[in-house]
Amino acid sequence: MLPQLAIRHSAANDSSFGLFPRLLALTILFAAELLLISVWLDDAALISRGGFLGFAGHWGAWTVRGIVGFAAIFFTFAYLKSKAELTEISHQVKPIAVNPSLLAGHAGAMAIFTSASWALYGIHVGASAASLLTPIWLLAGVCGIVLGAFAFMPRLLWARIIHDTGHLWAYTLLAVVFACVAGGYSQVFWLPSSRLTYALVKSLLSLFVSGIVANPVTMHLGTSKFAVEIAPECSGYEGAGLILAFGVVWLWFFRDECRFPRALILIPAGVVIMYLLNAARITGLILIGDAGATRIALGGFHSQAGWIAFNAVALGFSFAARRLPWLTTTGHVGTTVAPPSKESADNPAATYLLPFLSILAVGTLTAAASGDFQWLYPLRFLAAAGALWFLRKRYAAVDWSFGWFGPAMGALAFAIWIGMDALLNTRVHDAMPVALAGATPAIRTAWIVFRVLAAVLTVPIAEELAFRGFLIRRFISADIEASPPQRFTWLGLGLTSIAFGILHGNLWFAGILAGLLYAWALLRRGRIGEAIAAHATTNALLAAYVLLFHKWHLW
Amino acid sequence: MQKIVGMMILIAGASQFAMATAVPEIGVGSAGSAIALISGAMLVIRGRRK
Repeated sequence: MLPQLAIRHSAANDSSFGLFPRLLALTILFAAELLLISVWLDDAALISRGGFLGFAGHWGAWTVRGIVGFAAIFFTFAYLKSKAELTEISHQVKPIAVNPSLLAGHAGAMAIFTSASWALYGIHVGASAASLLTPIWLLAGVCGIVLGAFAFMPRLLWARIIHDTGHLWAYTLLAVVFACVAGGYSQVFWLPSSRLTYALVKSLLSLFVSGIVANPVTMHLGTSKFAVEIAPECSGYEGAGLILAFGVVWLWFFRDECRFPRALILIPAGVVIMYLLNAARITGLILIGDAGATRIALGGFHSQAGWIAFNAVALGFSFAARRLPWLTTTGHVGTTVAPPSKESADNPAATYLLPFLSILAVGTLTAAASGDFQWLYPLRFLAAAGALWFLRKRYAAVDWSFGWFGPAMGALAFAIWIGMDALLNTRVHDAMPVALAGATPAIRTAWIVFRVLAAVLTVPIAEELAFRGFLIRRFISADIEASPPQRFTWLGLGLTSIAFGILHGNLWFAGILAGLLYAWALLRRGRIGEAIAAHATTNALLAAYVLLFHKWHLW
Repeated sequence: MQKIVGMMILIAGASQFAMATAVPEIGVGSAGSAIALISGAMLVIRGRRK
């Protein structure tokens, strides 16, 4: 897709078609195929057939999650633990071309798989024909994956990755199977957990309101104006599990900095705090609803408060693990703390990430305070503009200039975006949101102006500084400002583009492609201005498309 | 940074496995921006030059 942009010439470079670009290409190929297939396949159709097909339909989504999870965990730990071995394999694979015969075999197998899926999912064949078709369907799917993998890298080198990483494949498989089974059967723990949450919320609620309406049988709790059912799924189990995973992985990765066994106290502390915060979240939700803001309570607050709590606990966890002398060995006691004015100079991560983080933080908080419409969106623009203004002196060395190439890439990304949107048919509501349409003309115009300004100015600058200005270069060196902007690694390019895509919801695949195009704009001349111009062009065209053709679902 | 990226890949995976419920206390739809926020915050916290 991208031309050879090899700039690095060191022996250890992986800018040519080594292991990481091959894995990236394979990921994009599989993701694109999965996306196309998932557009028109519905597991419910398969489940309704019963028997083995019903079983396959029931566990299909979990199987895909398992495969993706296995690949993510395996290669993450392989990179962290066996980087030298992977680099050696990368050198070995460079002279080997992608095998066109196996790639054709992959395409053939996927064509058979797709045709069989059409017949089985669409119930175009009877039960007896389906029983004959099922093994062909499964075999074609497995062959498609295997042939695709072997087309990009020979079988022996795949075997060497498995061999050189020891028993990592087995541990990963165990972890993924455990996660799938635990995820599927975790409901057993939900009911007792929800009863404890019910009692906690009732106690907290009694501190603020009188006349509590409570029914322990149906688990309904609230006031005469507003009540909720504390569903087993909302019992605090999810957040506690997530902070448990976060804590275990943190202590493992940064074990050299922690005082053990003292640091282990952070795990139960985090789990308990997260569980209590979930009770506080439900209490807050009831109080907001009781105050009359039911849309906010059931809308933004319900969906965002859990993540706000998780982020707060995770940040507190990492701060305590790193800063409390009782828990850390990093020796912060007695060290001179840099004055606040020098923070940016001492910390390039802050310089490049803070505008983007301010958008995310304010976006999360304003979404939590919103109902079914993001009235507070202008605050995101103001937050990013404020961060950029505050840090403006730190951007003196940034090359903001651009030529024709950046806008051209932006226009291409726009075409991909609306093409993918049409393909996926993600259109839900094309009309202007009711709340906005019902506002006074002055308020409506002001909101649209801020929305366009954010799309064309602050979002492109903040996101490009973060993804293309910082993250791509951070994969090369910790000292990003000493790293030429034209240097890159395929691993950094791939991961930053995937992360950028994931942040764009349903259109994640279009987001990945857009991320790659913006990176191309940057790397061609080494100017971040090109990437910003590309991103701004895409967003400006999208804004015009939304406003002129009433495609409001794209905002 | 690789450790933070790796950790967040695992957390994102965990959120996909554990939060596959219809009425989540932690919405999967908000996972991307929430994980990006905590990842970026940790990069800033750990990013100060020695």
